[in-house]
Amino acid sequence: MPPSALIEEADLHALVDGELDPERRRTVEDHLLQHPEDAALVEAWRRQNAALRAAFEPVAQEAPPHSLRGAASRREAAASQTGPIETGAIHWGRPRGSTRPPRRLDELRKGRRRQAIVTVALALLAGAAAAGLGAIALGALSPSERRVDAPGAGQGYVARAGVTYFTYVSDARAVEVDAGRADDLASWLRDRTGFGRPPDLSGQGLRLLGGRVAPGVAAPAGFLLYEAANGARVGLYFERATVGGEAPRPPRAAPGLIAIEWRSAGTAFVLIGPIGADQMQAAAEQAATQALAAEAAGDGRP
Amino acid sequence: MGRRDDSLEALDAATPAFRRYARALAAGAPAVFADALVLEALEDVVRRIRARELRPASGEDARIAVYAALTASANRKLRGHGETAPSARHPAIVHGLASLAFDDRAALLLVALEGFGYDAAAQMLGATRETALVRLMRARAALLGCDQRPSGARRAGTHPHLRVVK
Repeated sequence: MPPSALIEEADLHALVDGELDPERRRTVEDHLLQHPEDAALVEAWRRQNAALRAAFEPVAQEAPPHSLRGAASRREAAASQTGPIETGAIHWGRPRGSTRPPRRLDELRKGRRRQAIVTVALALLAGAAAAGLGAIALGALSPSERRVDAPGAGQGYVARAGVTYFTYVSDARAVEVDAGRADDLASWLRDRTGFGRPPDLSGQGLRLLGGRVAPGVAAPAGFLLYEAANGARVGLYFERATVGGEAPRPPRAAPGLIAIEWRSAGTAFVLIGPIGADQMQAAAEQAATQALAAEAAGDGRP
Repeated sequence: MGRRDDSLEALDAATPAFRRYARALAAGAPAVFADALVLEALEDVVRRIRARELRPASGEDARIAVYAALTASANRKLRGHGETAPSARHPAIVHGLASLAFDDRAALLLVALEGFGYDAAAQMLGATRETALVRLMRARAALLGCDQRPSGARRAGTHPHLRVVK
């Protein structure tokens, strides 16, 4: 292509993008009058611009999710990044501060006000998960995928939950101990993982099938399976989290599976399933609330 | 101190635009993923501003820093995730975006969606003005294949087929 033709095409782009000085713009516009194929090109690019704006301008018109509102100027951002998350915070990537300071959560953990526990848990869940930080979509991890995580590494839980989910979800023996043997299941989970209160998610249409102890990242993990009316299965994975707050490598993002991760009283939880995001979030809130309440009441611990 | 606070407030005001850019850059990946990119970029730039590693002369400077951080981070993360695959409910333009090379997509969006000039876009891409322009031109040419065709003949030799991003 001769240099002058290349410059001309760049001029056409510059016309669309407003990068020409007035004199040059007139020259190019005159050129378009005499070269309809170039005018058609310019028109096509303008249609592309319009299509882009139509597709994405609505995003700019939305109110940003909670954790992005005032994210730059708010003060407690620095504080939230130190140390492990102990109670009720959902995070993906790195810990996010809630609107309430951590020390208040410590008071609540002493069991002063059960209602406050529920409220705080919901606020944290709503704040982070509604922001989409807690909810991520996993790619289709095939059952043959192996992930080797360093022991104690904070970044393994969601990936491990994914592998665990795929290992058991379509197995003939999806659960080891079914929900009918609730006491056996609870004591088994409590003895091996430290948490033995399977949350009741019937409010979200999820029926507990049962569960098992499974290998975790660095310690035995619990894995519960719930089933929706349409047969979709949602897993709840949990493991004692002795190491906190490292930024995990983000898992693949693709439609299909949603995982919501949170920590409560030293245990990492991952809810993972193929149902809609709203339903997943509601279920995660329920599970986290009950887990937090169980811990505050002193249940579920040896 | 005042200028720093002004910069931070400018970033908050620009957050909707950052979300728009990130969503388009992610081209069909879930919204939550795009928002996480925005948060990470904001945290990174804010941390540098507070630590005085970055001293934006204006809100515009701070915005450019976030766009640059967003672009670099999306490049890393989308690469690791393989091909972005928009579902059928996305409009054709999103499928077109997903088929572009990342660099071309970013150049197109900074200019055509976010409205930056070529010099600013080049800065945010970490490239020369010429390189940014070439990427923009390639993106537009590739998108012609999936959008409406211009009436009349195409300009010979300037429209490659749609590329699948590896």
